[in-house]
Amino acid sequence: MRLPKFRYMEPKSIKEASTILLDEPGAKILAGGTDILPNMKHKVELPSVVVNIKKIPELDFIRKDNGVTRIGPLTSLKKIYQNESVKAGLPALASAASSVGSYHHQNMGTIGGNICQQNRCKYFNQSQWWRSARPLCVKAGGEICHVVNREEICYSAYSGDMAPALLALNARIILESKEDSREIPLETFFSGDGKAPLNFKRGEILTEIIVPEGSSRGFSSYLKFANRESIDFPIVGTAFWASTGEKEYRVAFTAVDRRPLRGRDVENFLNGKDLSDEVREEAVSIASKAATPVKTSVYSPSYKRNIMGRLLRVAIDEVMRREG
Amino acid sequence: MKSAIKLKVNGDDHELLVSPNNTLLEVLREKLGLTGTKQGCDLGACGACTVLVDGESRLSCIMLAVDAVGKEIITIEGIEENGHLDPLQAAFVEKGGLQCGFCTPGMILTARSILNEEARPTEETIKRKMAGNLCRCTGYKKIVEAVMTANEQTGEGA
Amino acid sequence: METKFNVVGRRLPMHDAAAKVKGSAQFTADLTLPGMLHGKILRSNIPHGKILHIDTSGAEKLPGVKGVVTGKEIPDRLYGIVPKARDEYALAKEKVRYIGDDVAAVCAVDPEIAEEAVQLIKVDYEELPAVFDPLEAMKEGAPLIHEGVLNNTSFSIRKEFGNAEKGFAESDFVFEDSFFSQAVNHAPLEPHAALAQYDSLRGEVTIWSSTQIPFFLRRNLSSTLQIPESKVRVIKPKVGGGFGQKIDMFAKDFCACWFAIKLGKPVKFVYEREEVFISTRQRHPMYITVKTGVKKDGTILAQQFKAHADGGAYNSTAPTMIALSCFFLMIPYHVPNLVYEGHHVYTNKPVGGAMRGHGIPQARFAVERQLDMIAERIGVDPAEIRMKNSIHAGEPHPAKFIINSCGFFDSVKKAADAIGWKEKRGKLPFGRGVGLAGASFPSGVSNMSHISSGAVVQLGQDGAVNVLSGAADIGQGAETVISQIVAEELGVLMEDVRITAADTGVTPLDPGTFGSGVTVRAGNAARLAALEAKNKLFEFVARKLEANPEDLVAANRKIFVKGSPETGMTFKDAIKGYQYADLPMPIVGRASWFPPATEPTTLFKEDGNFAPSYSFMTQSAEVEVDLDTGRVKLLKMATAHDCGRAINPMLVEGQLEGSVVGGMGQALYEDVIVEKGQVMNPSFLDYGFPTFLEMPEIETLEVETDDPIGPFGAKEAGEGTQLSPAPAIVNAIYDAIGIDFKELPVTPEKILRELEKKRG
Repeated sequence: MRLPKFRYMEPKSIKEASTILLDEPGAKILAGGTDILPNMKHKVELPSVVVNIKKIPELDFIRKDNGVTRIGPLTSLKKIYQNESVKAGLPALASAASSVGSYHHQNMGTIGGNICQQNRCKYFNQSQWWRSARPLCVKAGGEICHVVNREEICYSAYSGDMAPALLALNARIILESKEDSREIPLETFFSGDGKAPLNFKRGEILTEIIVPEGSSRGFSSYLKFANRESIDFPIVGTAFWASTGEKEYRVAFTAVDRRPLRGRDVENFLNGKDLSDEVREEAVSIASKAATPVKTSVYSPSYKRNIMGRLLRVAIDEVMRREG
Repeated sequence: MKSAIKLKVNGDDHELLVSPNNTLLEVLREKLGLTGTKQGCDLGACGACTVLVDGESRLSCIMLAVDAVGKEIITIEGIEENGHLDPLQAAFVEKGGLQCGFCTPGMILTARSILNEEARPTEETIKRKMAGNLCRCTGYKKIVEAVMTANEQTGEGA
Repeated sequence: METKFNVVGRRLPMHDAAAKVKGSAQFTADLTLPGMLHGKILRSNIPHGKILHIDTSGAEKLPGVKGVVTGKEIPDRLYGIVPKARDEYALAKEKVRYIGDDVAAVCAVDPEIAEEAVQLIKVDYEELPAVFDPLEAMKEGAPLIHEGVLNNTSFSIRKEFGNAEKGFAESDFVFEDSFFSQAVNHAPLEPHAALAQYDSLRGEVTIWSSTQIPFFLRRNLSSTLQIPESKVRVIKPKVGGGFGQKIDMFAKDFCACWFAIKLGKPVKFVYEREEVFISTRQRHPMYITVKTGVKKDGTILAQQFKAHADGGAYNSTAPTMIALSCFFLMIPYHVPNLVYEGHHVYTNKPVGGAMRGHGIPQARFAVERQLDMIAERIGVDPAEIRMKNSIHAGEPHPAKFIINSCGFFDSVKKAADAIGWKEKRGKLPFGRGVGLAGASFPSGVSNMSHISSGAVVQLGQDGAVNVLSGAADIGQGAETVISQIVAEELGVLMEDVRITAADTGVTPLDPGTFGSGVTVRAGNAARLAALEAKNKLFEFVARKLEANPEDLVAANRKIFVKGSPETGMTFKDAIKGYQYADLPMPIVGRASWFPPATEPTTLFKEDGNFAPSYSFMTQSAEVEVDLDTGRVKLLKMATAHDCGRAINPMLVEGQLEGSVVGGMGQALYEDVIVEKGQVMNPSFLDYGFPTFLEMPEIETLEVETDDPIGPFGAKEAGEGTQLSPAPAIVNAIYDAIGIDFKELPVTPEKILRELEKKRG
């Protein structure tokens, strides 16, 4: 399958990259390429200009300043899970990075790219010929969603592994454009709209991921359930952060909604409590209702909800085990 | 519109006329005639197109050729030494770590990438890092044996 | 078994292993010829419809496009791998019958333009109602997929052996259960490809094709292109796996030739992975009902078997598949009374064809699962019940199979011991369990015409040996095994043998790689050819040594009188002497080998010995069920395989290990999911077959029996082991969590659902 034609640019600075994005509404960023290039072969993404940002210096770093972890968007997934400070203080992040795709995807893929990946759906991630058997779906520019059979609304699932771990770690991101720069909680970056899942302003590029100091105090995990132990996207991913001393907990899910979700109902229930078998079971039950997945993959929504709770159970058990 | 780029492949520099939408896999196979790197699925899900880029394994079917400029690319053709099989290749032959041979170049390059990273990976590590390379013939057992053998023979990551 | 041979029985690397690890082994897509053009196929995007009009003008106008062809322009010649089941045109004429059906082809100067051109072809269809389930398709009023094929049932077979009704009446228990086996894709790593070239002066077309059946392909091309067979040359380059999916002519073969002939340029077609999933072949889904009558002690008295195979839109190997499924119910167990009914039914879906085991894995799943369920119900141990009913060599057989060697009984014991049956079955904690299942497979077939294999062996002046064989090595190592057989017969070493294979212009006839018969057929032909050459040489050497030819032995590059290896002469010297004695050079031996069949049968009409020999095997599995997610981890599989004698134990192990993982995929991971006729997961990402991380511990156990028919006692090892891993695993799941699964695959979702039902 050949890639469609496009213009190719290699900006040397954020400003330059941002200018291209502002001038060309059809321009798209190329980082590791593991998400956008298959989509382009499928002709569901057809950028007029491909902007390779890998020549922009100083976007590949992992730093710790006063306990705050700062990560550049072009840091490869491999570098993240090999980094000692991440392994020690932010294990959920290391687990998530080592669970993405396969070893090759971890070499090529970047944390920024993984966060900014396109939503997925079994009717969307298919070749142009395959999709011609049905009317064009909303996400591909048409008018109907084949999953929910409603017009105008796309129900594709956000399926990245890094985002839930980052959400559970209360991450923030910096978005820079030619003119401006803003820092926002990662959670607000996701629109919940399957068709346009990311809240980029025009001309913006993700330039930094920040994990606050408090997040590296406490336990964190990311559990991924997928069809196979490699290559595959999550069927459900559950991230969990716990500070048993403060009795503070955070839960996040991926692949169960149009955006990665904080499980606020679960958190509200758990906060202030000590973990016990009863508390855990109640949390698991609430977790299974934390989202209403639809059938964007071959797994049924009820199975996914089930797994959401079960993965949380495993995560909580681990914390309880460590506490003794 | 095609443009001229320079790619360094298996130690040699090549000047090539490519379009931005040519993948590295296409350029290796079609312009350089290096057909050892295979196309299994063209979407990055099988590892048959694995090459080494600056010593690290990559999926050439989802890499732009223009993005490979300035990097050292090694394909399966660049592994042998003066016509002799290197220890990894010899181990695959001796242990029967191949049948049809289609996935084999990708397997060998991935194993090389792993051995570049650490001198004595465990069997678990080998399986985990090679899991992005699919094989339908062997059931994987003899491939693992081959990589473990090469691992032992060379001691320090070949 | 101790090896008394020098080359046979040795763990030798494949003769082309070095080329494969160097990346210099050439597969079809690696080949280029000057001026080569590239082709692409346009496929139907509706499941069923009449082709009203095809407008190719858009494609023709695109700069770089050199040719376009539709079904209208090609000869009206149906083709099919089984002559009486011909129902397919190379490009659809008048109707399309599934999403993926071949409708048109273009040929252009580069693949990118060819892809673009295909998009520009406009097809007007009149969409017809479609049917997606074989049971629905058989009903009155269902859409008719092929003219004149009533109830969409293209083949049926009904056979009775003994008296089933009487058998059931005499049984202490009769059980009836229903099963379903899913659509599985072979998913070879190398996509299907073809490169064709035409010599207009001689009117000859040469095609390099990723195929398992060069000679059948030649026949089909000759017939569909309307060119004499002698003017079609099929050459098989290295093939990156087939497993049955590359049996059949495909549009890429026909269209490559078509354009090469029309345009006078070489033309290459390479399928996308999506096309391999949708538009080649898959394992037939099957609905099966088995009724079995047993005595209190588990002895099988009668069996009634009913199968509906979902054939998809065309026949491919339909009659053979459904017959195999039937005939292999009577082996490896004694089933003295059997009624079998099988139907191959068309649906508007991807086409079922030969896939490793060819109809038998589905049947085996049903029978082996039920045997376990019966064992449980009547209180007999599942391993015991299999040993009790086991066939033994030399016993009379209801369908007149001649079973010269049979290691089944031993294979059950060995597999059971290897998994720790006694300590584990019924005794492991909840969530862990062991299971086993048995099977048998033919080593090639006797009951078919055109199943002879030829070989030519030439002895060169320097002591090297050249072999010509029609055998199609698709990665299993056929060429290596044949070389070992020849080397053994001639008393030379493996490295002295050069083999040229699978070129219809050069090598003798061979049916191809299917039915697991290559070692037996092509191996025997090669052995006899080597023997003929050797005998000529022996005659000369005998005179020189003043001995009797019958007393001579060839081994380790020497020829000597039995018992006196120090005397005699080297192989090289013998040939030199032969030459200098003015005897005609080169020394050539040739032979054809046809499986012994005392009476000709075509399976459908009469009974008779089906295969020259039969392999037997048992797999045992240990599984662990993750009670949180329902995921099943196959911890270990042991496979005890009677393949007679292993010509190359390393290659045999490779076949067994690959089969185990393939069977595991069938049991737990793989499913071609179809929605309204459309394959939902036509990619390696979404059709998730096992990776390194799913790999179980695999133990292969040899059960040697030394078959009289096979070359050096060998029987098949390529397909048999993929028959029963699935039921072994599902039987183990029963032991682990007490739930009987009767449908494949057994996914985590299904397991969780049943576990919850069980609790609640």
